[in-house]
Amino acid sequence: MERGASNSHVEHEAAGEVAAEPRSANGPLRTLIATVGVALFFMAIGAQLVRLALMGLGDSSISMSETVAQSFARPDIVDRNGRLLATDVEAYSLFADPARVIDRDEVIEKLALVFNDLDRTSLRKDLSDRTRRFVWVRRGLSPRVAQAVHDLGLPGLDFRRELRRAYPGGKLAGHLIGYVNIDNKGVSGIERYVDDVVGVESVQGATLAERPPVRLSIDIGVQHAVEAELQEAMKLYEAKGAAAIVMDVNSGEVLASASLPGVDPAFPNTSLEPGNLDKIAGSTFELGSVFKTLTVAMAIDAALVTPDTIVDVRKELSAGGFTIKDLHPLRRPLSVAEIFLHSSNVGAAMLAMQAGPQRFRDFLRQMQVLDPMRTEAGPIAPPQLPQRWGDIETMTIAYGHGIAVAPLQFAAAAASVVNGGRKVTPTFVKRPADSGVAVIPLIDTATSAKMRDLMRRNVAERVGTGKRAEVAGYQVGGKTGTAEMPGVGGYREKSVISSFLAAFPMDNPRYLVFVMIFEPQGTKASSGEVLASLNAAPTAGRVIGRVGPLLGILPTQAAAAGAPSVAFDARSGAKYETR
Amino acid sequence: MRFVILAALMVTLASAFVLYSSNYDTRQLEVRVSEQERAIEKARGDIAVLKAERAHLARPERIEPLARAMGLAPASEQQLAVSPDAALSRVMATGSTTSQKRGD
Repeated sequence: MERGASNSHVEHEAAGEVAAEPRSANGPLRTLIATVGVALFFMAIGAQLVRLALMGLGDSSISMSETVAQSFARPDIVDRNGRLLATDVEAYSLFADPARVIDRDEVIEKLALVFNDLDRTSLRKDLSDRTRRFVWVRRGLSPRVAQAVHDLGLPGLDFRRELRRAYPGGKLAGHLIGYVNIDNKGVSGIERYVDDVVGVESVQGATLAERPPVRLSIDIGVQHAVEAELQEAMKLYEAKGAAAIVMDVNSGEVLASASLPGVDPAFPNTSLEPGNLDKIAGSTFELGSVFKTLTVAMAIDAALVTPDTIVDVRKELSAGGFTIKDLHPLRRPLSVAEIFLHSSNVGAAMLAMQAGPQRFRDFLRQMQVLDPMRTEAGPIAPPQLPQRWGDIETMTIAYGHGIAVAPLQFAAAAASVVNGGRKVTPTFVKRPADSGVAVIPLIDTATSAKMRDLMRRNVAERVGTGKRAEVAGYQVGGKTGTAEMPGVGGYREKSVISSFLAAFPMDNPRYLVFVMIFEPQGTKASSGEVLASLNAAPTAGRVIGRVGPLLGILPTQAAAAGAPSVAFDARSGAKYETR
Repeated sequence: MRFVILAALMVTLASAFVLYSSNYDTRQLEVRVSEQERAIEKARGDIAVLKAERAHLARPERIEPLARAMGLAPASEQQLAVSPDAALSRVMATGSTTSQKRGD
């Protein structure tokens, strides 16, 4: 044993001697390799640190296996002065995870306590499918309702924050603004324009849009004033509807576009009801005698007549089985000016026939009345034209029958008549202050001046049909129109569209106002008649009297001072009494 | 050589410490950033709701009856004048008219 140990020691020593030789030879090499390895390791760490310091962490992405509904963050919509018309707000949306729902019946019964209109059958079917992990129950909840659901303490239900469109003005300019769908995507009106042109951001959650607001040409104050006056007119004349436009005749900007009954963009279904259709851009109408504005302008612009030219209108016109006659014939030859002031159907038809069907048609096309038109809010309802444009059609179109156009399209043509003859393209988006409007002449400036004079006379003179539209100091000019509405087998005599086309101030028109009253009744306020001179004209006057100051139009002082009707009570210092 | 290895070891430990503390600080900063971002998002959401509520409260349909109840009325063209002097003279004139009507 001792020996064995001793031998072993010797062997070890011998082995140590043998091993000592290579150790001394390879030691520096191994150290060098280790040093280089450590140095490389440090260099790698250093390089990584430098890279991270210089480049940051880089983009990280999260992938989600769960199907999540996509939503859209939309820019605000504001009026021309920056007042809010539409905005996104955060709302809660309730969803269920069927796999985590313990008692379906309990969930359905308790939810029905909060949502009275809950579709139990559909929800039971959705919750029965245990393979699904995500089922929408109700979207766009207010915080109060969301809290009520939360308080039920039901397992398997949860909330997701989403963006919902809010319209703080309610029905104000509802037709124009349009609406969005459940995913906050624009479906119609300006909301559709926001999607198509301005752009929206696809989001998951409730991240608000970064885009600047969309600034409309609409003025909330003017829009409200117009809607309020139309509402009053509907009561006064027991009408089924009313509509009006206020347009800048130079830029084409629409400051108010009202169509009653109105719609609330928050309740899109209401806008699809037939009575609630947009009467300004979404429908076409035979507008009646206001169309004579274009007929007379055509005759004067073509140098066929002057306002003083005498036309024999005593005979009724007959063509194709139709008889064209005047409502209140004067039984004497009339000047062109008198044809306009007395709204002679025979006279207008004769002027159109003097030009001929082709020239009349070309003129209306030049005035943008015959071709489809679109605005930012979408296409305007296309004009309805006669299939064959012969003599009889020329005569009836001369006084606004046999052709149906959207009021907005007609208003654009009428604006060109009064603004010096320049083309007007209607727009609902505010034009930048420094953007010039391309000057495209449609009619001669002299023709425009003569038409302004005729329209002014129609309001200012005692015989004019528009005298009830006069507003002291604003030099209103205009033309009435009482159009019988088409019915089964002909026109309905008692169902009319009363309208008044106005512009002010007529020495240098700034704004056009086009008022329409649908199916008014002969009430005490209109002396038992349904004529536009007794309902639409005074309504237009009230609208102008109310929006003129809002638009900063200074009345002519002579006229204003001549009819002082403002009483300032110096003692109370706060009361104003207006007419 | 031993010194180099020792120094390298020390540098390794120091680097590891620095890396750990940087990592820790970064996480802390990320937490703060996400908190701030959440706060900003919430503030933006609150602002959006407040803007909508303000617009809802200031809608003309609501203001008009309140204004009329206070004796106000829509501005009329009679209340506009080319200059302050013209406005003042008109107010004086109408004021005297009112006084005469009242028999003062």
